[in-house]
Amino acid sequence: MEKAKVTGWQLFVLMFLFELGTAIVVSPGLGAKKDAWLAVLLGLIAGLILYLVYNKLFQLYPDLPLTGYMKKILGKYAGALLGMVYLFYFLYIAARDLRDFGELLTTSTYIYTPMLVINAIMILAVAYVLHKGIEVLARTGEVFFFALLIIGVVGTTMVLVSGMININQLRPVLEHGWKPVLETAPLTYTFPFGEMIVFTLLLPYLDHPRLSLRIGWTSMSISGLLLIWVVGMNIAVLGVHVATRSTFPLLSSIGLINMSGFFQRLDIAVVMTLIIGGFFKIAVFFYGALMCASELFRLPSYKGLIFPFCVVILLSSMFIADSYAHHIKEGLVVATYYVSLPLQMGVPLVLLIIALIRRQS
Amino acid sequence: MKRPKKLTDKKSVQNSTEKRDRNLDQNLTNNLNKIKKELGNSTDLVIREFTIGNNPALNAAIIYMNGLVDEQTVSEFVLESIKIETPEVETATKKGIFDFIKTHVLSVGKINVIQDWDKMILSLLSGHTIVVVDGCADIVTAYTKGGESRKISEPTSQLVIRGPKEAFTESIGTNAALIRKRIKSPNLWLETIQIGSVTQTDVAIMYIKGIANEKVLQEARDRLKGIDIDGILESGYIEQLIQDHPYSPFPTIYNTERPDGVVGNLLEGRIAILVDGTPYVLVIPALFIQFFQSPADYYQHFLMGSTLRLLRMLCYTLTLLTPSLYIALTTFHPQMVPTRLLISFAAQNEGVPFPLFIEVMLMEITFEILREAGLRMPRAVGQAVSIVGGLVLGQAAVQAGLVSAATVIVVAFTGIASFAFPSYNIGIPARLLRFIIMLLAGSFGLYGVAMALFILIAHLTSLRSFGIPYLSPFAPFIWADIKDTLVRQPLWSMVLRPRLVNQENMRQQGKDNKPTPPDESKNN
Repeated sequence: MEKAKVTGWQLFVLMFLFELGTAIVVSPGLGAKKDAWLAVLLGLIAGLILYLVYNKLFQLYPDLPLTGYMKKILGKYAGALLGMVYLFYFLYIAARDLRDFGELLTTSTYIYTPMLVINAIMILAVAYVLHKGIEVLARTGEVFFFALLIIGVVGTTMVLVSGMININQLRPVLEHGWKPVLETAPLTYTFPFGEMIVFTLLLPYLDHPRLSLRIGWTSMSISGLLLIWVVGMNIAVLGVHVATRSTFPLLSSIGLINMSGFFQRLDIAVVMTLIIGGFFKIAVFFYGALMCASELFRLPSYKGLIFPFCVVILLSSMFIADSYAHHIKEGLVVATYYVSLPLQMGVPLVLLIIALIRRQS
Repeated sequence: MKRPKKLTDKKSVQNSTEKRDRNLDQNLTNNLNKIKKELGNSTDLVIREFTIGNNPALNAAIIYMNGLVDEQTVSEFVLESIKIETPEVETATKKGIFDFIKTHVLSVGKINVIQDWDKMILSLLSGHTIVVVDGCADIVTAYTKGGESRKISEPTSQLVIRGPKEAFTESIGTNAALIRKRIKSPNLWLETIQIGSVTQTDVAIMYIKGIANEKVLQEARDRLKGIDIDGILESGYIEQLIQDHPYSPFPTIYNTERPDGVVGNLLEGRIAILVDGTPYVLVIPALFIQFFQSPADYYQHFLMGSTLRLLRMLCYTLTLLTPSLYIALTTFHPQMVPTRLLISFAAQNEGVPFPLFIEVMLMEITFEILREAGLRMPRAVGQAVSIVGGLVLGQAAVQAGLVSAATVIVVAFTGIASFAFPSYNIGIPARLLRFIIMLLAGSFGLYGVAMALFILIAHLTSLRSFGIPYLSPFAPFIWADIKDTLVRQPLWSMVLRPRLVNQENMRQQGKDNKPTPPDESKNN
């Protein structure tokens, strides 16, 4: 771990950017059709409950990151092995997010630019910031939080004022009953709310540890509600059929804005949102992987690992899938049920139970 | 904290003189010869030998450097008074006469008794007049510093419409007095040290005890003491040798030629570093936002002050980004430009032989050349250069179809915007980085610009000035300090000093300073 402290506000901002990150552009939960927003809400609630588990573990071991207390709870070898799993998991998710990001840019604006170049620039920028340390990442987050806020307020106002929202597109609620909603809820939980697991590695940096629960919950709730608003807005603007078929629903709905022929083609605002959010999401996962590795291999500093990890993330983002469809399919099925759910929900729960039992005995 | 690398080895700089007696001799002639020899018989050394009173045994001399002293002071208060004949002189011993001169004769404000040879040479070269009496190993130095120096004049690089018109001069004494004149508090403290093994330049730290941050103060002292260089010619030397991030293009030390600017900063708990020989006074620690604050912001109405500040920030962004956005939008994202404007751009670009990126780059470089030439050229040819540069280059280039009119407008606009900052040296990084961002915009469009901004902001947040984060109070976000950043709140609402700079003695004014007109109903 570095010698650094992150203020509550900075952690809030990082969590906020992280949660919205790519999710706001990709719009999760559309599997539940019109009730996508309900699915996101369920995911949020599940996420808030699971954050309690992460937080409890943090309170039990306030100085240790996830990999640290894993070793304490499960023993040296089992803990290290599981730490390796998390290391690969974070690298994998970072690569996935980078791929999401590259896909959006290449499909929306940079049709002729190879994705490798787009991704390489992104990961290099992330590497530069991580090289400066967690404090710089957090402060950069503070600056871009305001940028995102302005984009968000302007975009939302435009959508509201231009009168494209047709609330009837969202009705009837629960047309097909609870089943599709409940089926989609695991997806909306794992992406983006369950991904908060990576913050178990960042919580030890918090300057006032007792605030961790409040910060996490407010940040998740606010970003979750925003996500619900965006998902609902996409359906209300585009209609459920276009929204579910669209690769990037937010891009499509914002692209429709046309006010008096002057304020139009605001797609760039969406692209900027994704650049900002994607940057922080990749950066936090990248940092998580670096923390895992330096903790596992007892490295005094993670800086030597930045470049190799950079290459790993970049190349995996390219080879992870043949096409975007393949990429999304993998994300919805394999990544969710076999990787994310156990690692985001199963392992922390087991860890907490063992820790509590040990504490009692 | 990183310390700039030592420039020179101490031994190589100092004259490797053989070991010799570093005290003064009793014999006057020996002393005088030694001084002459040490200064290489320099012709500006003035030695006036005389006898005191009518006693031929009492030989004495006064020594000073021509031009460094105030001739009038020397003749009236040193020479004249020493030559006065009094009965005591007739009977006095050599030691007695020395004490007599010291206590009764010299009518100069500041005198010193020195035995050490090096100190004597230093005070001689600093403009003191030295009185040597035969038979005494002590000397008296009288403070007669003077000579020619520039008068206090109006600031040349930091102009304001409303506010004091005084600027610092090249003399450190005058500069310190200009500050002290404005702060009549015993807590305004001044520490002077000499830096530069050859130049022995006076460098002073000025701060208000009880308001200044002690940690920063100690850090500044340590860093100044760590400097080992042969000469300090300007405060820029000091700045480069004590700044936190020597490779960053962004200035982490503020400099100003306005006494009121320094006073404002001192009152906020900052520390001023005065260097002899330059009108630019350094102020530490410096925040990024500080370079956009002009003293005039505080003198005029807060709405105007705030608006102008926002305007300057806007200008900074424009300086940095206009050419890159122009390149990115027209070449990569034409769909974002309104159709009519796009058609107009395309029509203008029709005959231009270069790609837009090359075109903008060429024009930007041309502008930089004009700017530099305008600065260096003799006044007399100024007209010619502005006509050739402005009209011929601009107008003719467009007519000849070498560049499009839109490009000229963009470049000219960027150029004008780059002059809007109250502090010259914050414009330098914008000027430099503009070209890098243009390169990225030319290769990757807006994505390249966005990535450049990410790295730029990450770089800015990683900077520190004497331990204070450079981008505070934005990152880390400090709500209490936001009052005097992008906008300036009304004066009466800024009750506390900036929190990061100053940690104790926060209150800077009373809580109810808000002017309230008398209640009309009560008067009636």
